[in-house]
Amino acid sequence: MAWIFLVLAGCCEVLGVIGMNRIVRRRAFSSYLLMFGSFAGSFALLSSAMGSLPMGTAYAVWTGIGTVGSALVGMFLYGESRSWPRMLCIAVILASAVGLKLIT
Amino acid sequence: MNRNWLYVLIGGLVEVVWVSGLKHASSWWEWLGTLLAIAASFYLIIEASKRLPVGTVYAVFTGLGTAGTVLAEMIFFHEPFAPLKVLLIALLLCGVMGLKLITDRQEEAEH
Repeated sequence: MAWIFLVLAGCCEVLGVIGMNRIVRRRAFSSYLLMFGSFAGSFALLSSAMGSLPMGTAYAVWTGIGTVGSALVGMFLYGESRSWPRMLCIAVILASAVGLKLIT
Repeated sequence: MNRNWLYVLIGGLVEVVWVSGLKHASSWWEWLGTLLAIAASFYLIIEASKRLPVGTVYAVFTGLGTAGTVLAEMIFFHEPFAPLKVLLIALLLCGVMGLKLITDRQEEAEH
């Protein structure tokens, strides 16, 4: 259950980053709502996940999912580069997150 | 040291405070401190990113936050040292920092 919360927390973080990008382009109330709401949800879920997971592991995986998600959003929504070094980093992050899940 | 890098350094340390708070806070004033620490670390990083390359700022900041969190949990909260866990966290951190640094380089090349 803690791992599901952690993955959801990472997804909310990505939504928060999308909100941030929207604020840069258009300062609408809905953009602020998206950013603050998503980050609040993300912190709440991270805190729940930490109830049973070590905080170093939970924090690292949370950051990792947020970073991978933001990079993927950048590639698919904003036309950022899909070069192999970026893909390799994404694979390393996902593999280490899965490894952490397996040993916990 | 450049003032903006000082912001990144302090932001990374404050990050460890709120991560610890999210796991260990129990009273209302500890939760208040955690919320203030979240706001402070975000503020410092956003300020630093205005004048420094965003990906590099984020890479250093995450590095400090991740390393600090793992150390804090062993030093202050008596979590046992598990070599494989620390190794995987370090590997994950390399991926995050690499991704952020590459993104900066590519943006520079485009501009």
